[in-house]
Amino acid sequence: MIKKLAYLVGGLTLLFGLWGFYDRFAYGHQNANYGSYVVWGLWVAMYLFFAGVAAGGFMVSTLDLLFGVKIFKGTGRIALWGSLVCLVAALISIGLDNGHLFRIWKVYLQGNPFSLLFQMVWGYTLFGAISVVALVLASRQPNNPWLKPVMAVGLVVSFFISGAVGALLGVNASRPFWHVGLFPVQFPVFSLASGVAMLLTALAFFGREDDENRPQQLWILSLTSVILLIVKLYFMWADYSQSMYGNVPMNVQAVRQVLFGEYWWAFWILQLLIGSLIPLVFLIQRKFATHNHWAGWMGILMLVGYAVARGLIIFPALTVPELEALVHAFSGPHLTFHYFPSLMEWAVTSGTIGIAILGFLFGSEKLNLFSNTPKEA
Amino acid sequence: MSEPKEAALLSKMASEVFAGMIAPALENAPLIQAAEDDVLAKEDVLVRMERELKRALEKSPAERRWVMVIDLRRCIGCHACTIGCVAENKLPPGVVYRPVLTEEIGKYPHVAYRFLPKPCLQCENAPCTPVCPVNATYTNEEGVIVVDYDQCIGCRACISACPYASRTFDFGVNYTDKTVDRLTMVLGSSEAGKYETAGTAFEYGERRERQQHHSPIGNVRKCHFCLHRIKVGILPACTTTCIGRATYFGDANDPDALVSELIAKPNVMRLKEELGTEPRVYYLL
Ligand code: SF4
Ligand code: SF4
Repeated sequence: MIKKLAYLVGGLTLLFGLWGFYDRFAYGHQNANYGSYVVWGLWVAMYLFFAGVAAGGFMVSTLDLLFGVKIFKGTGRIALWGSLVCLVAALISIGLDNGHLFRIWKVYLQGNPFSLLFQMVWGYTLFGAISVVALVLASRQPNNPWLKPVMAVGLVVSFFISGAVGALLGVNASRPFWHVGLFPVQFPVFSLASGVAMLLTALAFFGREDDENRPQQLWILSLTSVILLIVKLYFMWADYSQSMYGNVPMNVQAVRQVLFGEYWWAFWILQLLIGSLIPLVFLIQRKFATHNHWAGWMGILMLVGYAVARGLIIFPALTVPELEALVHAFSGPHLTFHYFPSLMEWAVTSGTIGIAILGFLFGSEKLNLFSNTPKEA
Repeated sequence: MSEPKEAALLSKMASEVFAGMIAPALENAPLIQAAEDDVLAKEDVLVRMERELKRALEKSPAERRWVMVIDLRRCIGCHACTIGCVAENKLPPGVVYRPVLTEEIGKYPHVAYRFLPKPCLQCENAPCTPVCPVNATYTNEEGVIVVDYDQCIGCRACISACPYASRTFDFGVNYTDKTVDRLTMVLGSSEAGKYETAGTAFEYGERRERQQHHSPIGNVRKCHFCLHRIKVGILPACTTTCIGRATYFGDANDPDALVSELIAKPNVMRLKEELGTEPRVYYLL
């Protein structure tokens, strides 16, 4: 039943997305609402989100495939596949955000190695390659002696790519809201949190009914999710309160924008209430945490909360003018400090989510991921 | 009307028109003093700067240090420089290289406008260049920050890194988009639009047709001190269009240049000095 629903959601979101992809390719960025002031919008936020799930998914897959934690036996390939699918979704999001997508080869052949973006592109390439190799090995030759070294390198790379996203924002001294030294440390934690939530959702909804380990797996993942959620909330409190006490105007304005400004509803309702508080209340209770549907839905709510949190890192910093009088200095399309994604942006994101959902479902069936005894080749 | 009389009349009219806007700043200043002098006998600063420009061009590019000086007391907020730049570089809607930031300050009855024309500040220590993953934006040998449109992938990391909002993204919008189209008439989006898309701008000395999916659409764009004009000995468009003669341009490595004189004044400042970007655009307060 839930699988059918997932296929339906995947199909519908992709269908809506097809219009968005058409619009994006036919008219470029014209119908986007991000502009020259709020320069990164929904797609960059979704890129951060998907890339976070990808890195986090890999991290949790090491429980089974690198560290051999018994209770998680058989979950490694699911986490790896979820990670790969999310990596593809992340690259679609950020690819379509670029003005000249087809020049991406220049990053490889004519790049600037000192740019964080350059390092990230290479990092993702390496990460993608490692994930594919690991998945193939784990599926076909689970006893291959190379599997663990590959997973170990992958674990380091997954920390690197999630830390690099934090650094990309953290090094930007022009935006005090992002210029947080701890960002490169926080982002791997965010990634791990979203990876755990992804695995919790996948196992709860699609895990094998007859797997005796499943209740325990769900319980451990739920508690881990709760702990990571609390750590994340603590980081957020630290960032926001420091900004407010520090009283640097650009920083304070950005925080106010999140708490009381144009994104208040996203913060209080989506991120805090739906994405944090509700899952927290249910997942600390064993009966809900081990109940397939409850755990699955709570996993989804947490993922929604994490996606919103990414948006709330990106947009508010950009809605604060670098110079106050810029707001009215020159008018024209895409020159505004307000941002809400356009229909085309939502459609593209919907299509990307559709691709991720359908990719995950097809792949898990084809690769027989939800059996914990991979065939020996 | 004889020439000096005409000049006196013009000067007086100009004073009356603009006095209301800048009066507080110029209180007690000899606004119509100029009319009494033979203003036309004086050399226009543009002439001096053109001469200095030619002198600078005789040097090798690396020996020049182009700077711009903007005298905020002389700026009357007419936006001519903005529009001059738009026309020179044929900028589409939403792309701007030199907006004039306008602020109302004070409380009635002591109210005034403050104008701050803001091109790219051509930072010596530019935060926008090292973030570029493909070296598409860089400091050229004359110290001007440029964008190689054919190299830029449009990631916009440089926009987010610029603390002065000096870069805009070309979204591919045209002024004639969605205007009425009549095949039988000359006017209309398809006919009038031809002017917009024709390759008649010479940014970076290149002539580019404006076509969807082709650069500079999908690229980041910014002020480049009108390098294509400088190269042939003409001052940047904003400098020549400034009716208040508030914008000065030249080679700060030339000790006799007007800009060298101006940036040695105690009332000089640069935007957000604390960031250490070392802008090459100076303001006189
Ligand atoms: S003003 Fe902005 S775009 Fe211009 S050089 Fe400085 S950082 Fe770069
Ligand atoms: S938008 Fe273009 S110039 Fe700016 S950082 Fe990206 S590739 Fe470089």
